[in-house]
Amino acid sequence: MDFTANYDMFLNEEHDMLRQTVRDFAEREVAPNIRAWDRSGAEHGEGPETRTHIRPLIEKMGKLGFLGICFPAKYGGAGMDYLALAVLCEELERMDSFLRVVASVHVGLNSMTIFQWGNEAQKMKYLKPQAEGKQIGAYGLTEPNSGTDAGAMTSTARRDGDHYILNGEKIWISLSDIADTFVVFAKTDPSKGNRGISCFIVERSMPGFSSYPLHGKLGVRAGNTGGIVFQDMRVPVENRLGEEGEGFKIAMTALDSGRYTVAAGAVGGIQGALEASVTYAKERHTFGVPIGDHQLVKRMISNMVRKMDMGRLLVYKSGWMKNAGRRNTRETTLGKWHATVSSWESADDAVQIHGAYGFSDEYPVERFLRNARGGVIYEGTRELQELLQADFAMGTRELAPKLRCELPAYNKEAWEAE
Amino acid sequence: MHIIACIKQVPRDNSVAIDANKRVDVSGIEPILNLFDEYALEAALSLNDEHGGDVTVLSLGSDDTVDQLRRSLAMGATNAVLVTADGEPDVASAVGIVQSAIATLAAADVIVCGRNATDDESAAFGPMLARRMGWTHVTYVTKIVSSSATHLELERSLEDETEVVKVPLPVLISVGKGAVEPRFPSLLRVRKYAKAEVPVIVAGAYTNAASVVDRVPPAARKAGEIIAGADVASKVRTLVDRLIADQAL
Repeated sequence: MDFTANYDMFLNEEHDMLRQTVRDFAEREVAPNIRAWDRSGAEHGEGPETRTHIRPLIEKMGKLGFLGICFPAKYGGAGMDYLALAVLCEELERMDSFLRVVASVHVGLNSMTIFQWGNEAQKMKYLKPQAEGKQIGAYGLTEPNSGTDAGAMTSTARRDGDHYILNGEKIWISLSDIADTFVVFAKTDPSKGNRGISCFIVERSMPGFSSYPLHGKLGVRAGNTGGIVFQDMRVPVENRLGEEGEGFKIAMTALDSGRYTVAAGAVGGIQGALEASVTYAKERHTFGVPIGDHQLVKRMISNMVRKMDMGRLLVYKSGWMKNAGRRNTRETTLGKWHATVSSWESADDAVQIHGAYGFSDEYPVERFLRNARGGVIYEGTRELQELLQADFAMGTRELAPKLRCELPAYNKEAWEAE
Repeated sequence: MHIIACIKQVPRDNSVAIDANKRVDVSGIEPILNLFDEYALEAALSLNDEHGGDVTVLSLGSDDTVDQLRRSLAMGATNAVLVTADGEPDVASAVGIVQSAIATLAAADVIVCGRNATDDESAAFGPMLARRMGWTHVTYVTKIVSSSATHLELERSLEDETEVVKVPLPVLISVGKGAVEPRFPSLLRVRKYAKAEVPVIVAGAYTNAASVVDRVPPAARKAGEIIAGADVASKVRTLVDRLIADQAL
């Protein structure tokens, strides 16, 4: 069964061909190796010396246009829309989370943020090579002692002539040892709380920058996650993204983009778990019948279908709103909450359907389970998304008035023009 | 150089059903481009990369085959043609229909096709088309060693050996799974060709030399047997004895 059929109220032929292309890419380039890459991350750590598969894959994704999927051609992009980004993330995570994470940090958190807030020079200098896949971007907000409470960050940026001097540490940074550029946040005026945070584009090559890998993660073991450290790192003023003190707003809009990619990926994760479960439920026999004939197995499969379809509709609604240039924080956080929790629950059911075999990496479902757990935490915890929905419903939280820089609405004609 | 790539849409797997009218029912099975045709198309595109010109991708199929033709355009083909015919042409009829369609196109230097389709497995289409056209043909090609405006040097992978042959153009080659993986479509070309209008040639009447008089699904596989035994060693002993008795070893 084609679980992605009949979404033509949102998607068109371009999205269908994109889906097929990404699916073929994932099945040919990732599937044959993913178990070994995942195991190697657990056994040998996630330092760049063991993660030699990541950059060549990213370079291939760049050449195909995946990394600039939703940016205008004049910035090196493929000129497709924000729904195309969702399709990309779905299909990557249907196979494994680690390349969807690349899409999340490179496209969602970094490039889309520069696209939204950057000046023309910054877009040409950073967005264009990133969209073309010539440079890899990542994002640094979380610190060892500040996660959901981003305003509690302690990184600082002190103005010194035409430079800022950055000091601090960011942790849980995807592609920490691989990315070339990072969109990061630091306090230019610690006395002003959230209004004292500013945003910067920093480069790995800047003196004072260093990175390190984390080891022993539960999931996304085929990827690279770690920390980045700024030690008296001099960053030119022209690398400040947005105005001084605008960093918190920028961080939150970046999360509107990042959470969208995480939600879409989670929908693909549900589909991966569902497809593996359907195949296994037809093959495996107990008590003389395929296990798919047993009602409690059917219930688990039905639940996966329900959660996947609901997640997909929520994600596409957010994508449709992004295309139209509408603020979508409520819709995106709802989709992220639903899809990530559902992805975890569906992977759990998939392991159950596979029985003891699901408990080993002979089948992919235990990897789906470990990968899915992260999405319930990163880019806004389940609890934060839940609180936001109640606050929106009760009117105790409202979207800020129109931002100085909104994420540009999709404009097919303009975006396709060279 | 003008290269024509003949491609076919096939079901992703062979778990097809046979309906009451003895027709193959592929509903619910994802349609894909025949695996060997992907390699054939890649061979055509790599020749085109080197020599320029045109790659026309042609398929005898139904309306939904347009998706494979558009995908081929997104991979790098320059033209696409869909050929439709009533009924179910057999291989000989299909060759006749495709030959007539090719006659309407610009003269070709090379025709490529997959070594066989993964649905009917006949492997006869390429050689038969070459024979009808009076062209040289080379089967089981896995690599284009070198090419010029007048010749191709081709590697053939045979069961016991690999041979290299040099042939003058025009030539038809049927391609197996080769060393060069088929390229992916780039998103710029996806955007350009996802809705491309594909011209259709409607085939005239034809008469099959052979007609299908019956279709039955393959016999269901016998259930497996779990070998009992006191310990692993005795189970393995029993298994080996059984395999020897069944002449499997």
